Amino acid sequence: MSSNFIYSNRDHKFILKEWLNTEKILNFDAFKDNYEMDDIDMILDEGLKVAKEVVAPTNIDGDKIGAKFEDGKVTTPPSFHKLYQFMQENGYGNSQFDPDEEGKLPTLLHIALEEFFNAANPAFHPYIGLAKGASNLIELFGTEEDKKRFLPKMYSGEWSGTMCLTEPCCGSDVGEITTKAFATEDPRVYKIKGTKCFITAGDHDLTENIIHLLLAKCEGAAPGTKGISLFIVPKIWVNEDGSLGEPNDVTTVAIEHKMGIKGSATAMLSFGDEGTCRGILLGNPPDENGKAEGMAQMFVMMNGARQGTGLTAMAIAQAAYNYALQYAKERVQGKSISNPKGPRVRIIEHEDIRRMLLFQKSIIEASRAMIMKNSYYIDLSRYSNDPEERKMAQRRIEVNNPLIKAYPSDMVWQTTAEAIQVHGGYGFTEEYPVAQCARDSKILSIWEGTNFIQSLDLVGRKWRLDNGKIFAEWFKEVAESIESNKDLEGFAREYEIMSKAVGAYREIQGFIAANFAKNIKIVPLYSTRVLHATAMLWGGSLLLEQAAVALQKIQELGENHFDYPFYQGKVQTARFYIRNIVPEIFKIAEIIKDCDTSAVDILEEGL
Amino acid sequence: MNIVVCLKQTFDTEAKITLDAGGKIERKGVSLIMNPYDEFAVEEALRLKEKDGGEVTVISVGESSAQDALRQALAMGADKAILVDPGEAELDEYATATILAKAISGLEYDIILGGFRAIDDGSAQVAGRVAEILNVPVVNVVTKLEVEGGKAVATREIEGGSELVEVALPAVFTAQKGLNEPRYPSMKGIMKAKKKPMQKMTLGDLGLEGQVAAKVKALSYSLPEPRKAGKIIPGEAAEAARELAKLLREEAKVI
Ligand SMILES: Cc1cc2nc3c(=O)[nH]c(=O)nc-3n(C[C@H](O)[C@H](O)[C@H](O)COP(=O)(O)OP(=O)(O)OC[C@H]3O[C@@H](n4cnc5c(N)ncnc54)[C@H](O)[C@@H]3O)c2cc1C
Repeated sequence: MSSNFIYSNRDHKFILKEWLNTEKILNFDAFKDNYEMDDIDMILDEGLKVAKEVVAPTNIDGDKIGAKFEDGKVTTPPSFHKLYQFMQENGYGNSQFDPDEEGKLPTLLHIALEEFFNAANPAFHPYIGLAKGASNLIELFGTEEDKKRFLPKMYSGEWSGTMCLTEPCCGSDVGEITTKAFATEDPRVYKIKGTKCFITAGDHDLTENIIHLLLAKCEGAAPGTKGISLFIVPKIWVNEDGSLGEPNDVTTVAIEHKMGIKGSATAMLSFGDEGTCRGILLGNPPDENGKAEGMAQMFVMMNGARQGTGLTAMAIAQAAYNYALQYAKERVQGKSISNPKGPRVRIIEHEDIRRMLLFQKSIIEASRAMIMKNSYYIDLSRYSNDPEERKMAQRRIEVNNPLIKAYPSDMVWQTTAEAIQVHGGYGFTEEYPVAQCARDSKILSIWEGTNFIQSLDLVGRKWRLDNGKIFAEWFKEVAESIESNKDLEGFAREYEIMSKAVGAYREIQGFIAANFAKNIKIVPLYSTRVLHATAMLWGGSLLLEQAAVALQKIQELGENHFDYPFYQGKVQTARFYIRNIVPEIFKIAEIIKDCDTSAVDILEEGL
Repeated sequence: MNIVVCLKQTFDTEAKITLDAGGKIERKGVSLIMNPYDEFAVEEALRLKEKDGGEVTVISVGESSAQDALRQALAMGADKAILVDPGEAELDEYATATILAKAISGLEYDIILGGFRAIDDGSAQVAGRVAEILNVPVVNVVTKLEVEGGKAVATREIEGGSELVEVALPAVFTAQKGLNEPRYPSMKGIMKAKKKPMQKMTLGDLGLEGQVAAKVKALSYSLPEPRKAGKIIPGEAAEAARELAKLLREEAKVI
């Protein structure tokens, strides 16, 4: 069904050309010679065309053929090979990760293209996406020799990358990993021994080599995350001149059979079965207290991967919504409730279908607003000439990160459920593409740190970072944005809800601050809900900003303009989100203040 | 070798066509693309250039939005673009061809390419008229093109088969589906497109101000009748067939 993949870039054009200050980003030295505001349409249009015509047709193969493991080798569907080559050759692949690439796109634009490609085939994208983090780690923490040795072929797409954290006994508990690194006479080269599982793109036949970025513990390292080091472990050893050497004793044990993203190979890898697996240490060996650098280094990669996860969630949600919208316009069933004697109508005319559609649309657009706004900050943090501005942006990103990972990836399960519901029984069949959307999306709340881990990151870490100042600045910006839309015409009620939500959020924070010392369990018991409240507050404030832009535009263009339905749609979407979704913050505040602990009080035997 | 490609911006094949208040086709809010047959022409030009060297110039007659179609060709790899703004002049195939021919006559060319037709008007005339005005041969609906030593061998579709035509250059060729598979502009191509020359001309610049007027005038446009809902005849096959025959005779009056 993916051949009639439906996707639009209208909201992206609105965001980039009318809402965010993209011009400011394009004027930075990194971009000013290559891109102007005028180029945005063409980049988005051509990217979308590639997504529709080149990427989307491979989606069905990912799902139906999937990745296979036979005779010790992992294969991907034939169409993935062609696609991989196309993406690399046309500048939509790894070359975008090269900081020195001529014509590198700002994050703001690149993220939009990534959204289209992810929506078109979410199982394919990791084969490219993982090289981003892996190459970035070598770029940041490798020696000049490492960079020369590995990066050219990673940026050309000849080699791909992975991140190897998870082991059978430890997923969320990274600190407990048992993979070991043994020093050799070469101080940078270690012998690696251990098993990693669930490694995305851990083995496949798209590239001649795979560069694993692997977490392991050196002998004598401290227990827990403190003792973890990061290694470059190629599947096939890479000589110092960058040429390929012998296979590096990395064996694929199996790949997983999964409910979704079946084209993405998820491998269990055994390192050092023969005792000859070598890894190159990034940074310094553990210090005299056994403290190592790997976890901090890996976080650089994880932050990027977490943004990517939220993006994929939003993209899949959008694809499923588009299918549901089209179906609702075609399916005739039932009569209008206000005209029971009249003709049968298309289901899009039914109130409850409208509710389901707008539920999806508003959550997707709130998610996109957050992700794009965060991308704007990423560009500021990297490319602004003003060090203060770079620092400010970095501080915002700290808070944004767990929100944009967890909120879209929690909500996509709900929005795709509604997309299926709109289809009735047909949605439950594999004849229609929405079932696959739901299946493909579920992993996103789990990998890159489960969404619970994200909520702990928010409440346990980000709330308190720099004595709480980073969060306070973030919160102030949100509250001020809401305040700036106080007098928005026709939005008095929405403003009232948003400003009450600011108050409710303060109460949540206040309550947890005052009570966690008495009962620490309330933090993990409520952190997921706090994260959702935070995201809804932020999402509501951003959609309110967008509504202000759209209202202004409507005034200029009038109701007869061809683009009026788009802007009216933006206004109603913001209204729906603020009036139907944001009030959940009030409920969450009530529940938290009530502080029920039955979930922990119940006896295990009573569960 | 110098290659000129004539191209037109048309409505997206997926666009919903409506008429404006004046009864003309509504252009506002409709997404526009390069005429798909012209994409084949651009692709062929690029392949010829990649093989034998030379320069590819793309040219269009149209309003400023047509720049986007030219930019796409530049992003695919064409070297320069010319956009002729027809101003107030009413255009038909004759007028468009006259303008194109005049602009091309000021260029050096060995090969002129175009789509064999545009998907909007579908008249399949412009390239042939250009050839006529420039007094060079034209080979239409080409599905294969080989160029060597001042000559070209083109395979063209004819009723029930294909025909091989040898022609001396310069000549005009019009592209048919199957000629090639057009490439997508690469990221680098898109970035470089902006730095390539885009020459904008008016009819005055070509010495045609007030000289071209359409010979054909569209009197009115109308949309096709909306398709009526189909009818499903229920029941056993034999009975349904009888009912169908009755309806075909009495209602549809086709048998
Ligand atoms: C398709 C797929 C691809 C993957 N790709 C990669 C990859 O490329 N590289 C890689 O390293 N890993 C990868 N993973 C692994 C993934 O990151 C882990 O599955 C994830 O981190 C969760 O770990 P786990 O499965 O061991 O679950 P567990 O950690 O056992 O978690 C089970 C449940 O317990 C909860 N939980 C755990 N600890 C706590 C706690 N302290 N307090 C409260 N709740 C807790 C979790 O939130 C979760 O709900 C992939 C997994 C899958 C399924």
